[in-house]
Order: sequence, then C-alpha cells, then structure tokens
Amino acid sequence: MLQTTLGSLRLQNPILSASGTFGSGWEGRQFSDLGRTGGLVSKTVTVLPRHGNPPPRIQETPAGMLNSIGLENKGADWFLADTLPKMKQLAAGGAGPRIVINIGGESIDEFVQLAERFSAAGVDALEVNLSCPNVQEGRLLFSTEPRLTEQAVRAVKRVATVPVFAKLSPNVTDVTVIAKAAEQGGADGITAINTLIGMAIDWRKRRPILGRGIGGLSGPAIKPVALRMVHDIARTVRIPVIGVGGVRSADDVLEFVCAGARAVQVGTAMFTDPTLMVRIVDDLRERLAAAGTTIDELCGSVHRPVPPAPGACQPDQGRGACV
Amino acid sequence: MLARPMESRVHRLLRCRDLGGGSFALEVDGPIPPTAPGQFYMLRTEHRWPVQLPRPFSLYDRAPDGSWGSFLVKPVGEGTRALCSLSPGDGVVLNGPLGQPFPRDVADPVCVAGGVGLAPFLLLAREAKAKGAPVRLLFGGRNRAALAGLEDLEPLARVHTSTDDGSHGFRGMVTGLLEDMLQKGEVRAGDVVFCCGPDPMMHAVAKLCEKLGLRCFLSLETYMACGYGVCNGCSVRVQGARFKGWPYSKTCMEGPVYESCELVN
Repeated sequence: MLQTTLGSLRLQNPILSASGTFGSGWEGRQFSDLGRTGGLVSKTVTVLPRHGNPPPRIQETPAGMLNSIGLENKGADWFLADTLPKMKQLAAGGAGPRIVINIGGESIDEFVQLAERFSAAGVDALEVNLSCPNVQEGRLLFSTEPRLTEQAVRAVKRVATVPVFAKLSPNVTDVTVIAKAAEQGGADGITAINTLIGMAIDWRKRRPILGRGIGGLSGPAIKPVALRMVHDIARTVRIPVIGVGGVRSADDVLEFVCAGARAVQVGTAMFTDPTLMVRIVDDLRERLAAAGTTIDELCGSVHRPVPPAPGACQPDQGRGACV
Repeated sequence: MLARPMESRVHRLLRCRDLGGGSFALEVDGPIPPTAPGQFYMLRTEHRWPVQLPRPFSLYDRAPDGSWGSFLVKPVGEGTRALCSLSPGDGVVLNGPLGQPFPRDVADPVCVAGGVGLAPFLLLAREAKAKGAPVRLLFGGRNRAALAGLEDLEPLARVHTSTDDGSHGFRGMVTGLLEDMLQKGEVRAGDVVFCCGPDPMMHAVAKLCEKLGLRCFLSLETYMACGYGVCNGCSVRVQGARFKGWPYSKTCMEGPVYESCELVN
C-alpha cells in the first residue's frame, strides 16, 4: 500500500527526510525508529569543507523560517569516512530506508567528483543540489539556468552508477523549463522545491536579521507554492517527482502525491518534531486504508478526470451499483 | 558527548507556579531522564503551538526519581506565552536532555545568574547541598521582582543578590557584587565562575573574570531550530583546541556551556 518507486529505486514508503533538515539521520536516531522511513537524504556534502555563513543563521517567520546556513559541512573525505558508515547502519542492509546523498558543487567538475566518489561508496541514490540559495558567491545558481542544469545533470549521469535526482529552485520564472532541462540531461527524478529566497529586517537596528542578509524560506508558508510547482513539473516531465515544502502531516503528503509526487520529503517540521517521519508513515497507512487506495493509485490523480465519489450510485443502475 | 537517552515525549502539566516578576515554573510529570545542570530541553505545547519551532529551556528542577521536572519560563513571545497559559493536564512536548552541562569536576563553583538565567543553577545547587557543600550563588536583577525563583534557591545555596535599584541585596550590577565578594575574600583566586543570564550581563561577567584571572563558563541562550544538531542554525563563533580549527560550534551539541575564552567576540 505504501510502497513506491523512484525509477529503479524501490522505497518501502514515500517518506524521506529533506536535505539539511535531519543531518545524516544519525543525530536524531534516538527519537524514533528510522528503519521505518522510506529514505534518509543527507545534508549537502561538498568536495571541500565549508564553514558556512556568519550567524545569525535562522529566523522564525509566520508559518515558517528563514535559514542562511551556507552548506556548513566537513567535506566529502570526512563524510565518507565518518558519516556514511553511520547512515549505512541506519539503512539496515537495505531492509530500511534508502540512503540518498545530496551533493553540492560550485562547478560541474565538483559535481562529477562527488558523483563518482559517492556512487563508488555504495549509496542508493544521489540528489544534486542545483539550488541552494545561500552560497551563490556572485555566481549564477545552476538551477536558474536550463542550460547549466542540463549540463550539470548530464555530467553527473555520465559517471553515476545510482539514480540521480535534481533538486530545483523555486526562484525562477518557470520551473517546468528547468525540470525539462534536468530530464533532458538524464535525471532519474526531480526534487522540488528548495527554499524561496527571503529576508527579515530588524527595523530598530536598521539591519537585516540574518548574518548574510538573505536566507531561504521553508515551512508551511511555502507548501502551496511547492504543491503548485510539483503539479506543474509532474505534468511536464516523465520522470518521477519528489515533493518537498512545508510538509507536516500525512494529509500534506497525500496532497503532494495527488499533485504528482511519487515520494515526499519532510523538512522544517523535523526541527519541531524529530519523530514526525515515522508518525506520518503510520498516519499514511491509516488514511490510505480508510480511503481504500494506495500511493500508486493516488499519484498524479489531480491530472486525471474526477472519479465518481465513493459510495455514489450511478444513475439507472439500481441498487448494488455503488462504486 | 554524554551517553544519555534523548527522547521526545508528551508530558502533562502539573501546575504553572507563579514565581513573581512575570516568571513561572512549569512543572510537568515524569519520567524526566537524569539531566545534568546546564543541559536543556526543547519545549512546545502539544496542541495549538502558535509558532513553528520549539523553544530551548534548561531544566530547572527535577524530582530525584524523575517523577516530575520543571522549567523556568518568562512569557516574552508567542511561544513562551502559549506555554505559560497551559492548564494542569495539558500536554507539553519535551525533547531532551540536550547539550553539554557545566563542567562536572569543579568542586565549589561561583554561580552567577541574571533573571531567568537562574534556571540551570537550581539542580546544581541541589546536588552540591546534598554533598554538604552548598555553592555560592550570585543572583542579579533590575529589582526585587526580577529575582524570580529566589525563594527556591535560598534553602539550597549561599545566595547573594544584587539589584540595580538596591531593593534587595547589593546595589548595582552582579559584576559589582562579584568584585565586592572578591574584596571580602568570599571569592578567591582560583575560583571558577559559572554564569547564565542576558547577553550583556554575561559579556560583563566574562570580561571581569578575565581581568581577575578567574576561569569562567557561560551557558548561552541561542536562537535554535532543532536543538539536536541537525539544523546548524545555532552556531556561534569559537576558537580553541577542542574545535580543531573549525570557526563555528553548534550551541545545542557542544554547548550551551562554553568557557569564555572559547567564544569569539
């Protein structure tokens, strides 16, 4: 009932952590049984260590939060030696969650290096972070440019031996153009969306609150935006879509599934409740059982004609013809 | 890193005890895991939490058997107001215990608290009292009303107070009280200071300790999203060997207690 697939990757259920909101999973392992999640997506790994942005790095906003972490991480060497073995432990030899490594590069060459190393390290899939708003450093984001998106994905696909998902930015005029480019580059799936660029200001100090000035908005505030983008992308590409943005409940997950997502990531809400993923898995099972449906059947249902309401009688067919 | 169990659990509010000065002790039912002074929990209401992120609070008090625990809360924003307007029986979600406590090997620390920064010192005072060696607690506030929790600490520690208006104890800042006690020989060279309070006060205490040559540990109150090391949002600038050259430290994991010389600016 809960099983889903992302291309060749089978997941025991559609619930994954969103990159950057649950570390490697290891940090929160004591709070719940992560073996029951569909997948764990790592915080972005870069080739070299990154110290991240100056504090303050977070600010709560109405129905969401801004973050400007700046991809703080200890680099690929550290991750491969220290963190990946822990994630593999959580994966329970393939019986549990899929291990997805989110990779971030400042150049196509860096993406390629990371894709080679992590493919060889035996992870289940790669998520290519083409869209972090917090590290631009004067350069263009990959995922605001269809040509760069396609090039980066194609280069990663050339060396990757595991499925590759492209994580896209919502900060574009038409996200379907970028999604199409990622598909053309050979992506096995699209993760949508990353955070929306935003700002908070302390007027008394006449200054932005975040150390870097701007940050990425996440949380329930962005759910309608994410739903619309997942909906539009699912209609445009043939590859699976992983929905992310403001998910807090099984109902939120099912909305994304109806919009066309084959899997859904839980992000900011993991800060509030580190047990949330497994609670959503339980609730999903209940909801689907009560509605007599499956993830597979619901997926993309808003794109199909409205089915007759359950229990509604077809005219002229008499009793017993309820569907 | 302490090998203590972290958990996320719904507790029931037993009562919300008014400590005066606008502060409350939120008492919740157990089980409260063993928690060292300075460790904290992320709190939110079970229902109708009006904001997104939980809020960090040091554990204020705990029954020796863990059957109840309490948190010192001053309603200043939407989250703290929601916590303080709960009724007995309402649910409070606790994640914790989190973070690193004050050093456990300091025999007779000089505790310096400001306002709700009193929170981590009750457990510490209780432990010390049980060992027959009550700690010195310097507790400062704007006025008498700001010394919320004073009655809780008086039976447990050698309490010295300071108020800006002189309405209780030493007239002036808590740093003045510390200097005064040094002159009277009640604080001596070699003593170690544990401090928790508003940022400007901790800055002043740290600076004074540096001048006096006293080691000083500060429990920081930082804006946090998760409290368990995944958001990287609570990082502060640090220096020192234990950070191995990394310029930032996660307050929730390596803190909230830092030695003052480890903190940059």
